[in-house]
Amino acid sequence: MNRNKKNLLLVKKLVELSKVDDLVEASKVSEVLASLKKLNLPHTLSLLKLYLHQIRREIAQHTATVYTPTSLSAPVLSEVEQDFTKLYGRKIKAVAETDTSLIAGVRVRVGDDVYDSSVAGRLQRLAENVH
Amino acid sequence: MKALFLTLLLFASLPLFSGVADAASATPDAAEGTNKLTMITEKFGVELPTLIAQMVNFGLVAFVLYRFVVRPISDTLDDRQQKIADGLQYAEEMKVQLAAAERERSEKIKEATTEAQKILAESRELSKQMIEDKAQEATAHAEVIIRKAHEATELERQKMLSDVRHEVARLVVKTSSVVLSRDLSSDEKEQFSNTAASELAKSI
Repeated sequence: MNRNKKNLLLVKKLVELSKVDDLVEASKVSEVLASLKKLNLPHTLSLLKLYLHQIRREIAQHTATVYTPTSLSAPVLSEVEQDFTKLYGRKIKAVAETDTSLIAGVRVRVGDDVYDSSVAGRLQRLAENVH
Repeated sequence: MKALFLTLLLFASLPLFSGVADAASATPDAAEGTNKLTMITEKFGVELPTLIAQMVNFGLVAFVLYRFVVRPISDTLDDRQQKIADGLQYAEEMKVQLAAAERERSEKIKEATTEAQKILAESRELSKQMIEDKAQEATAHAEVIIRKAHEATELERQKMLSDVRHEVARLVVKTSSVVLSRDLSSDEKEQFSNTAASELAKSI
């Protein structure tokens, strides 16, 4: 087994240690980083880069970014969270972002998947269908 | 020529031989005749030895003339006659050959004329066929060019239509976006967003 595979396995275990209730927790990440600092392993920099990449990927896969032109009510955000958790079969945390270019409606992004139910998106699809 | 000379010599010497023979053969009955002959020869001064000597001389002269004059002349004349005959025969053969050559030339000219006419006819036919082929080829080429021009025009038209549609759609979208952004109130936008968010995951 080469060094990259060993590092990858180690990083995956560190990512698992960084989670609480299937979600990445900032405090746990801090603990993992402190432990790494104490251990003073060889190739720490490459290990940290790989860890950062995996943490970002994990966050993206468990985060539903909800873009809206106006603020979204907390119950609706919670509803979105529950619906996508059910859809993906894993814990999803909803985060609201403002995007006025959408005019009205929402656009949700989970990892690389994008779900659009905005007025701007519908108009864009309409324009594409006219061709 | 040689025969003629020998005949003349024989006739010239004949009387002499006959005179001697007569004198020799008439011994039994004609002493009178001998006397007459002797009398004649004496009268004319003819003596036998002289006569024999003259005859020998004549024979020698005749032989010399025949051997060194008549025979070479005769040979020369014979050769010339043979040459003339050969020349005439050669001329006759040449005449025949000339006639044959003339006949052959005429046939060759006739054949060449026929061949030339045939080649000319074939050339005319070939050129006619070539002209027709080229005309057909040009027509086909022109049709291809026209068809390609039509296709290019059609493509251009389709592209223009597509561009126009794209531009109209873009303008419609932009106008609609501007109008909706301006006309929708914040409450309406919020209400629409909440509804869309509630229904988004359920509709997937």
